[in-house]
Amino acid sequence: MLDSESAAFIQTGVSISLAACGPDRLPSMSRGLGCKVLDGGRQVSIFLRRSQSLELIENILNSSRVANVFSLPSSNRTLQLKGSDARIVPFAAEDLCIIERHVADFVLEVVPLGMSEAVVRAILACPPDDLVAVTYSPAAAFSQTPGPKAGEPLAAP
Amino acid sequence: MTVRLDTIRECLEGVIPGHIATCDAEGMPNLAYLSQVQFIDNEHVALSYQFFNRTRQNILAGSPVRLLLTSHLTGAQYRLTLAYLRTETAGPLFEQMKAKLAGIASHEGMSEVFRLRGSDVYRLLGIEQVPGATLALPPPAVNYLTALRRATGRLAGCGSLARLLETALDCLGSEFGIGHVMFLMLDESRGCLYTLASRGYPQSGVGSEIPVGAGVIGICARERIPIRIGFMTSEYGYGRTIRRSVEADGQGDSLETAIPLPGLPEAGSQMAIPVTAFDRLLGVLYMENVADLHFGYDDEDALVAFAAQLGLAMHHHQQAEELDEEAPTTENPAVQVAGPPLRVRHFAATDSVFLDDDYLIKGVAGAILWTLLSDFVERRRTSFTNKGLRVDPRIRLPGVSDNLEARLVLLQRRLDERAAGIHLAKTGRGRFSLAVDRPLQLISG
Repeated sequence: MLDSESAAFIQTGVSISLAACGPDRLPSMSRGLGCKVLDGGRQVSIFLRRSQSLELIENILNSSRVANVFSLPSSNRTLQLKGSDARIVPFAAEDLCIIERHVADFVLEVVPLGMSEAVVRAILACPPDDLVAVTYSPAAAFSQTPGPKAGEPLAAP
Repeated sequence: MTVRLDTIRECLEGVIPGHIATCDAEGMPNLAYLSQVQFIDNEHVALSYQFFNRTRQNILAGSPVRLLLTSHLTGAQYRLTLAYLRTETAGPLFEQMKAKLAGIASHEGMSEVFRLRGSDVYRLLGIEQVPGATLALPPPAVNYLTALRRATGRLAGCGSLARLLETALDCLGSEFGIGHVMFLMLDESRGCLYTLASRGYPQSGVGSEIPVGAGVIGICARERIPIRIGFMTSEYGYGRTIRRSVEADGQGDSLETAIPLPGLPEAGSQMAIPVTAFDRLLGVLYMENVADLHFGYDDEDALVAFAAQLGLAMHHHQQAEELDEEAPTTENPAVQVAGPPLRVRHFAATDSVFLDDDYLIKGVAGAILWTLLSDFVERRRTSFTNKGLRVDPRIRLPGVSDNLEARLVLLQRRLDERAAGIHLAKTGRGRFSLAVDRPLQLISG
């Protein structure tokens, strides 16, 4: 279970990436467009574009194992979650506002760092009929903020 | 369509950090962020190894590797499939990445944290563009092929080494749009580089020196590779580096420290390009800009190609200056000069020369000037040849690769900048003349 502080962190203007491996150990990953914390932190849902994630979805269907990083560009604070029960879930239209809010937060985060807003919006463009969700229970959490403690497990989720 | 890596290199600069995915032996994936991806060629890249983390463990355990890279210019995303080959812990690739990482670390406030332990070299197995809308690539600031064509054409028209260097630096400004640039010549025997020409600084800094191995310029010379840094870093800022290096090597006496180095006090971007000819390092072209990430891979490629032309042209001019036979010397007892005498003081131990108590130059160039002025005062000699200087026992040239012509250019520039009334002028291939406006009073020691 995610603590409330981590749960809040992953729902700010972080960059999100999700990965899973194929039977040959070849990993695939896609950029997440937003996330939702469910069941008091017991589950996390990541929103992806299906067209960008065909291999990732295939890998999740086969293995159910995912790695998921969240990083805040302005502070480099980075958190990695792992889960072994990931499943593909249809995207619920009412969650579109979560993606819209996440994109707005991310723009506010990176434009002051010199990024072009048009480029950021192109990267995070989300045609609603192309969206899919991946839901899993975080079984392990690691701080990956660069530094001596990078890679250390946080308290068991 | 297959994407060629050399067409998407803006994705490697880390403006939008790349992601790396690996897999452990049990099939559990792992994700991490990349601080840099180094382009080697279209089939190879290198990643920085900074920490022994899960990514590293997975790679050493044979995990295939996937990268997700994003263009900060178009928003295009690419997935790269890689296979690990080897780790390099020294040498040109390592030094290129170490310098770049120092800039990134400084920019991220991670100078004490980021340390390059190795350069992990990977074979590129494939590039897949991720579907999604992208923006049009903005037009580049410079068309490098046009700049290169025009600049190399201008180099070809130069009749002397001095003219060649002036033209080269002019071209970097007018053709390539680079405003702050200097050329430093290698002094192989002393293990240092001396500034021969510069553009874009309040003081030219001609004659200032940098030890080989110190800062961006010194490492470029030592490794003979381009060094490019996208963010300001004190680790590679040459002022501090040079002081430290000089103190460590105990060469404070021999290195030219009286002439300050030119340079921007706070350069965001730095790039040093080695100038070579036939496997010999001749010098280093150095350029800088106040903006971060000003120089990219394309700038580096264009400047390396330009430096190759410049190196061959320099080699040609240096050879040409040695071809002519010794000409008869001109002694002109009738030369009369008037006015208050110019006191020229020479210290033999370092060959330092002072004009009216103001430091001018030392080393080989100092020895050359003292020899020329001595002959002028004793015999009113005004014409000289490179060949004659080369065999003159008073000058003690360090060897065949002494770059005599470059030292004459240095001396001529220093004299012109001082405007003390001593002039050197080329009179033909391997020949030059001395003119003196005031009576000279030569003082030894």
